[in-house]
Amino acid sequence: MDAQQSGWLMKRISRFLGYLILILTSLVLIAPVFFMVVSSFKVDAEYLSFPIRIFPKIAQWQNYKLVFTMTPFAKIALRTALLAISTATITAFVSSMVGYAFARFNVPGSKRLFGIVVAMLIVPFIVILIPQFILYSKLKLTNTYWPWILGALGGSPFYIFMFRQFFLGFPKELEDAAEVDGCGPFGIYWRIFLPNAKPVFATVMIFATNGVWGDYLTPLLYLSNSKTLLGVALTTAFRNPQGIEIKTVTLAASVLYIVPLIITFFLAQKQILKGVVTSGLKG
Amino acid sequence: MATETLTPQPIYGQVKKAGLTRSQKRTLTFYTLVLPWIIGFIFLSVFPLVVGLLTSFTNYDGLNLETIKFVGMRNYARAFDDADVSFSLMRTVLWGLLNLPLWLIVSFTLALILNQDVKGRGIFRTIFYLPSLIPATAAITAWRIILERNFGMLNNFISLFTPEPIAIGWLSDYSLQGMTGVALWGGLGSGMIIFLAGLQGIPDELKEAARIDGANGLQVFRHITLPLMTPVIFFQLVLGLIGAFQQLNLPLLFTRVGIASASVPPRPIYLYMIHTWSQIMDQGRYGYGTALLWMLFIGILILTGIVFWSEKYWVYTGAAEEGGK
Repeated sequence: MDAQQSGWLMKRISRFLGYLILILTSLVLIAPVFFMVVSSFKVDAEYLSFPIRIFPKIAQWQNYKLVFTMTPFAKIALRTALLAISTATITAFVSSMVGYAFARFNVPGSKRLFGIVVAMLIVPFIVILIPQFILYSKLKLTNTYWPWILGALGGSPFYIFMFRQFFLGFPKELEDAAEVDGCGPFGIYWRIFLPNAKPVFATVMIFATNGVWGDYLTPLLYLSNSKTLLGVALTTAFRNPQGIEIKTVTLAASVLYIVPLIITFFLAQKQILKGVVTSGLKG
Repeated sequence: MATETLTPQPIYGQVKKAGLTRSQKRTLTFYTLVLPWIIGFIFLSVFPLVVGLLTSFTNYDGLNLETIKFVGMRNYARAFDDADVSFSLMRTVLWGLLNLPLWLIVSFTLALILNQDVKGRGIFRTIFYLPSLIPATAAITAWRIILERNFGMLNNFISLFTPEPIAIGWLSDYSLQGMTGVALWGGLGSGMIIFLAGLQGIPDELKEAARIDGANGLQVFRHITLPLMTPVIFFQLVLGLIGAFQQLNLPLLFTRVGIASASVPPRPIYLYMIHTWSQIMDQGRYGYGTALLWMLFIGILILTGIVFWSEKYWVYTGAAEEGGK
């Protein structure tokens, strides 16, 4: 009886500790975002203070207006979004096609090629990125958006891997039926595999779009200030005539920068959680 | 052509069509489908790697294509005399030693807790994942408010418990620690998700059986959960290691977002890739810079090789056979 009771007590304590850790961690993780939002409504003079003043005296909505008037923010955002979405669409289509080929074709050389895809996952991207830049600059393709598009046309090892793993679990009956109906391999990919891969496709689209949207290094490397993307513009755009950064306006821009990412994540969470494999069987 | 779509094609056996057997046709189809990737692989990966390697044996400075000279191993030899190389390498190792274990332990712990039957699991999972969504550029602008030396939130908070207000330079003298905070914050979510997926793959029956045999929570963890999770830990370790050694984004942003308001990061976060980047981008030493890149590449390959070699000593691989019993 005694041992049982102490076991019960232990359980209660560990449960309590678990919640404590979860809540404290949540607070710590939210804090930077919270301070970012709150401080984006401050004037620069109250950006930091001692003792701590968390909320602004008067909410400076004009910081958000300044974001759009100090830079062509809307234009840069639109440009970044267009590039991100088109790059992601191309990558997702190519990667799904290649993933399908690796999942369904066991032909001479296919295993070895897939080995290369896996090996590419562990090649440090930076070792390729900089020589790529040297090559693109020789081809006079720097300060254009071609490096993004050309890169997307080759697909990405990570997404190819994801699609392949997903397609491996596909029931064979579906394509057999389609083959009997006279569907060629590309038709099978287009009419059977792709429509049934919506959740993975959506996930890849979101990862790839966010990847370009959030990128700092590539636009820094390739694009001049007049053509640059949001990730770089954020760090250079909001300065007073003396060249000193207006921190609270940068923060307001940062808030606007992350809002689309957070919205798509919440929308996509559902899409990803929808039963995936079963839908293929039902269809 | 019209009849072809109407007549069902036999699935087995070799069908002569356009002079190709069925298996030849399938091979052809496979290579057509993967062609975009093969072209991309050759021109965007192999070719740059080779060009990088060739450049590393020359004195190329970005402009001197006409007078370019082959200098043999000189660029590589030079790296051994460059005090900044050994310094930045040390900082990178320190960065890895600080960042990797912390990231692995904390994200694993969070996944373990979330894998329990806790209320509000979905909400916590979303909150933990939230920082992973935020691009480094925006993350740094937010973290500045916390890490700033004078009146930053963190120093303000610590000062509540000290007799005198303190001023720790989380963005300068202690930037390695400051950057670890930012990286940990941004990486926890994605780390946790992968650990969580692994934990959910552990069959409940195994844990149940151990409990019936009288094992307590800690023993179940030590003898069931942890061994079965070693493949996931291994996977995370390999990717984390590769990521840590090519870290460039964060120190660059620490500098250029106006924190240090300098062109070079503070010394504690003068990482290997920062040195390489500044050799190429600021000094125009393409030959030397690509040599540094290739040394990094080889170093990472060796480290990854060591981790793969160590696999047999600590990574559990028997799950497949035992699960089949």
